[in-house]
Amino acid sequence: MIRFDAVTKRYGPRAAVDAVSLEVRARRICVLLGESGSGKSTLMRMVNRLVEPDSGRIMLDGRDIAGVPPEALRHGIGYVIQSVGLFPHWRVAQNVATVPRLLGWEDARVAARVDALLDLVGLPPDRFRDRLPHELSGGQAQRVGLARALAADPPVLLMDEPFSALDPGIRRELQGALRDIHAGTDKTILFVTHDVEEALLLADELAVMQDGRLIAHGRPGEVLARDAGPAVRHLFGEQTLAFHRLGTLPAAGAARPGEAAAAPLLPEGATLKQALMLMLEHGTDQLAMPGGGALHLSDILAAA
Amino acid sequence: MAEARSRLLTDAAATPSPAVAIPREATAAALLAALAAVLPFLLGWLSVAPNRLVSPRPVALPMAAAALPLGLFLLCCLGVALLARRRALLPWAEAVAGLALLALLATLGLGAGAALEGASRLARVAPGAGVWFSALALLLAGGCCAAGRGRMADATPTRFLAVALPGLALLVASGLLDPLSLLKEAAQRGPELRLALLRHAVLAAGALTLAAAVAVPLSLLALRRPRLEAALMTLANGLQVVPSIALFGLLMAPLAGLAAMWPPLRAAGIGGIGAAPAVIGIAAYLLLPLAAGMLAGLRQAPPELIDAARGQGMNERAILRHLRVPLGLGAMLGGLRVAAVQAVGLATLAALVGAGGLGAIVFQGIGQLAADLILLGVLPVVALSLCVDALLAAAQRLLMPPGTRA
Repeated sequence: MIRFDAVTKRYGPRAAVDAVSLEVRARRICVLLGESGSGKSTLMRMVNRLVEPDSGRIMLDGRDIAGVPPEALRHGIGYVIQSVGLFPHWRVAQNVATVPRLLGWEDARVAARVDALLDLVGLPPDRFRDRLPHELSGGQAQRVGLARALAADPPVLLMDEPFSALDPGIRRELQGALRDIHAGTDKTILFVTHDVEEALLLADELAVMQDGRLIAHGRPGEVLARDAGPAVRHLFGEQTLAFHRLGTLPAAGAARPGEAAAAPLLPEGATLKQALMLMLEHGTDQLAMPGGGALHLSDILAAA
Repeated sequence: MAEARSRLLTDAAATPSPAVAIPREATAAALLAALAAVLPFLLGWLSVAPNRLVSPRPVALPMAAAALPLGLFLLCCLGVALLARRRALLPWAEAVAGLALLALLATLGLGAGAALEGASRLARVAPGAGVWFSALALLLAGGCCAAGRGRMADATPTRFLAVALPGLALLVASGLLDPLSLLKEAAQRGPELRLALLRHAVLAAGALTLAAAVAVPLSLLALRRPRLEAALMTLANGLQVVPSIALFGLLMAPLAGLAAMWPPLRAAGIGGIGAAPAVIGIAAYLLLPLAAGMLAGLRQAPPELIDAARGQGMNERAILRHLRVPLGLGAMLGGLRVAAVQAVGLATLAALVGAGGLGAIVFQGIGQLAADLILLGVLPVVALSLCVDALLAAAQRLLMPPGTRA
C-alpha cells in the first residue's frame, strides 16, 4: 500500500532520513518506533508531502506520489497529530467535516457522515456535535481528531504520536478504540510513536528507526527475536527485551495437550506475557488453556 | 485596648461585609466625581469678555438662573460615587457620569444666558477653567467605571458616550448652549466648520485606505518572506521617527516635480501643495500599526494548527481564509483601530500643507489668539477619534469568532 524506495531527506549536512526502503502492506498497522530525532516523523510526513524527499520514491497504492498534487493527495490520507490541531473557532461537527467540505460534499451527506463518525469514535453526536474544542477533554479532543481524519473515508491514516500527550488511562482507552476501529474499517495505518508498550500493543508490523536509518522491520516477534541487534536491545531495554518478546507470542502456540487440574484458566487469545503474569499472580507453574490443554512454565521458557 | 481592637475586627468580619464587593475602581471613581463637583466652584464657572479678542475675566455663576440643573449635577456626582461601590452597578455609575456632564453643560448654558443679560452684543461668555476640569474628571470617572467591567477591550466608556453624545446633541439643538461663545463662533462658521469636518474625515479615510492598500498585501507577502518582513518593518519603524511636518515638507518637492513633469497628475489634483502630500504623509505613519497588526494577526494561528490544516489538504488560500484571518481578526482590528485614531489626529496637521480639514480652523485660531476658534477645531477632532475608536472596538467585539474569546 505504501512503499518507500531508498528515501532520503537532508537538513543541512545531517540526513534526517537516510536511504529508507520500507513496504507497508494494506490493512496493516505499521508502527514506526524510534527515539526523538530518529527521523520517524519526517519519514511519515513525506507520505502526504508535508516534507518532500531529496531523493528516492514513495509509492501509494502503486502510484508515485510525486506526481499527485499535494492537496488532492492529502484529501485521501487521514492525518492525526499529537497536538490534535482542532480549529478552536469551529464546532466539533465543523471540525470533523473539514475534508468532506473541501471535497464539496452536500450538507445532508456531511451531517450524516459526521454523526456516524462521532458514534464510531465513541462520542454521542447529540452531546458533542455542537461543542467547541475548548469544551472537550484531551481524550475527547483526540477522538474528534481521529473522526476528522476518517471523515472522507481515506484508505490510509497517518498518526504522529497521537496519544503521547494523554494520561495513561485515557491513552489505553484510545489505543483500544483505535484497534477496534481498525478491525472494523480495513484502514492502512502508519503510526509513529516512541512508546515501546504502545508500539507492541498496536503493531501488525514494527519498523524501528535510529539516526534516520531503518534498523529493523517485521512482525513484532521477529524484531524482538533472540538475535536482535544492539540498537533494538537498547531501545526495548536490555533487561526487558525477553519480557516484551513474550508479549508478542500467543500462548496457544506453546501449550501442550493434557489437563491442568485446578490450575487458573487463561483467557482466550492471551499472550505468553499474560500467561506469565497470571502464574506470578497465583504462585503456580501451570495454567489451563481455554479450549483444553495446559501451559507449563517450562513451555514459556522454551518459547522465549 | 488590644482587646477592643480585636473585638472591632471580629465584628467587622461577622457582618456580611460589603467591603468585599467594593470594586477597585470605586475609590478612583468617587474621587473623580468629588473633584468634578468641587472644581467649578474653586476654579470658576464662567468667564466673560467684552468682545472676542479681549482676554476674558472670571465671573460668578448666577445661581438663581441655573439652580435646577446645578442641583441635578451635584446629585449625579454623588450618584456616581455611590453607584461605583457595587460591581454590578458600575454600568449605571458610568451612565450617570454621562448625565452629570449633561447637567454641567445645562448649568453652564443657563448661567451664561443670565450673565449676558444687559451686556453688549459683542460680549462673550466662555466656560471657566473649573468647568473644563470638571468635564475631564467626569470623562475619567466614566472611563474608570468602564474599566471596572474587566477586560481591556471593553474599556471604552460606551455607556457614558451613549448618554452624553445624544444628550449633547439635544442640548445644542435646544439652543440652551447658544449663549456660549463657542456656539456663537460655531454658528458664524457653520458651513465652514461642516466642510472642514467632512474634509478632515475624507483626508483621514483616504490616508487609511492608502496605507491599508500598501500594508495588507505587503504583510501577506512578508508572512513567508523574512527578508521582506524585515524591510517592511524597518521602513515602517523608520518613518515613525521622521517628524510629521518634516515629512510633509519632504513630500512637497518630489510631488511638485512629478506634477510639473506629468501634467495629467496636476489635472487630477496632485501636486506639492494640498491633499496629495497630506494623504501620503499620514499614510506613511499608519504603515507601522497596520503592518504590525496584520502580521501579528496572521501569526495568531499556532504552527501545529497550520500543520493540521495543511495535512488535511487545505491550500494556503483556505488556511488564510479559515484560520489565519478569523483567528487573527482581533489583532488585525486592533492595529486598524490604532491606525484610524492616529489618522484622525494626524489629519489636523494636513492644514500645514494646504490640505484643509479641522486643522485649518485650529491654526486660524492660533493665529488670531482666539481660544474659541481653536476649540472649535479641536473638539470635533477629539469627538471624531472617540467615535472611530468606539466603532472599531464594537466591531472587534462582534467579529471575534466564539472559540477565540475564551
